[in-house]
Amino acid sequence: MVSRTHTSPEEPEGIPLRTYAGTYVVLLVLATLSLLLSRIHFTGGLAVALVIASSKAIAVLWFFMHLVEQSSSSRFAVVIAVSLMAILAGLTLVDVATRHTFPQKAEPMPSSGFYQR
Amino acid sequence: MTVPSLGEQYSGYARQEETLRFGMWIFLASESLLFGGLFALYAAYRGMYTADFDEAVRHNTLVYGTVNTYILLTSSLTVALSVWAIRRERARLAVGLLLATVALGCGFLVLKTLEYIEHWREGALPGPFYHWAEHPTFGANRFFTLYWLMTGLHALHVTAGLVVLLWLAARAQRRRYTAAHHTTLEMGTLYWHLIDVVWIFLWPILYLI
Repeated sequence: MVSRTHTSPEEPEGIPLRTYAGTYVVLLVLATLSLLLSRIHFTGGLAVALVIASSKAIAVLWFFMHLVEQSSSSRFAVVIAVSLMAILAGLTLVDVATRHTFPQKAEPMPSSGFYQR
Repeated sequence: MTVPSLGEQYSGYARQEETLRFGMWIFLASESLLFGGLFALYAAYRGMYTADFDEAVRHNTLVYGTVNTYILLTSSLTVALSVWAIRRERARLAVGLLLATVALGCGFLVLKTLEYIEHWREGALPGPFYHWAEHPTFGANRFFTLYWLMTGLHALHVTAGLVVLLWLAARAQRRRYTAAHHTTLEMGTLYWHLIDVVWIFLWPILYLI
């Protein structure tokens, strides 16, 4: 198997400088967009913020972390990790969202008297 | 120009380097699942105490979190460019870029410390130490407990990342990395990028919305 990152000084392979710069600009723009959108309160704001965050993460993974030039085994490891985290967070959220016992039972007994509803 | 040693189980450098890369990605996957547990906990508590969480987020220290976001995004650029530099045999530039990344990482930790001090003054401490009278709800307590856990674990990773970067810079300074063989450098920078990716998700859920 030929290494995809084998280079020689005469013709370096890999991601060109303008791609790094462009990715950085995209990251800054998305971060600023996320900040501005969060100042307007609208339904689904959290979902939008997470979509923007995912886009930023994909940009970092693909270009800065060089997934674009790496093998499918490495990319598969990322897919697995993301899928497992989605299952972990998703099913935990579904668990609590479909319970009928909280918040009546979830609060601790008021011992210090500090917590209020 | 130094040539790295080749393990006898490998058919060539290409195979050895691919194994290094795959192994590193497996490690990153496990690290992200470490944070994933906390993200799942956050999702659960946010679902249970949505109003309290919304209010607590609005009263978190947005400026610190946002400046730190831009710092980490920039540090991701500088560390990625260090690999670009090594691929063009520009070791001195690579060392400079790695040290710039370390400086940005230190800036992050300084701001984080100042931010923690402000939270401590307000009484927004984790668990049973919480005593912020203006937001006395149990849900707000859960939010700030998760905040301290998640950003604390992240800050520990940033600190470890700084050690990794300094080690890489020292080796690059001694010309241990070349355009043909720099997989270790690249894998070290992946750790720093993971820290950035984790913060990319921490920032909106803890500070923005």
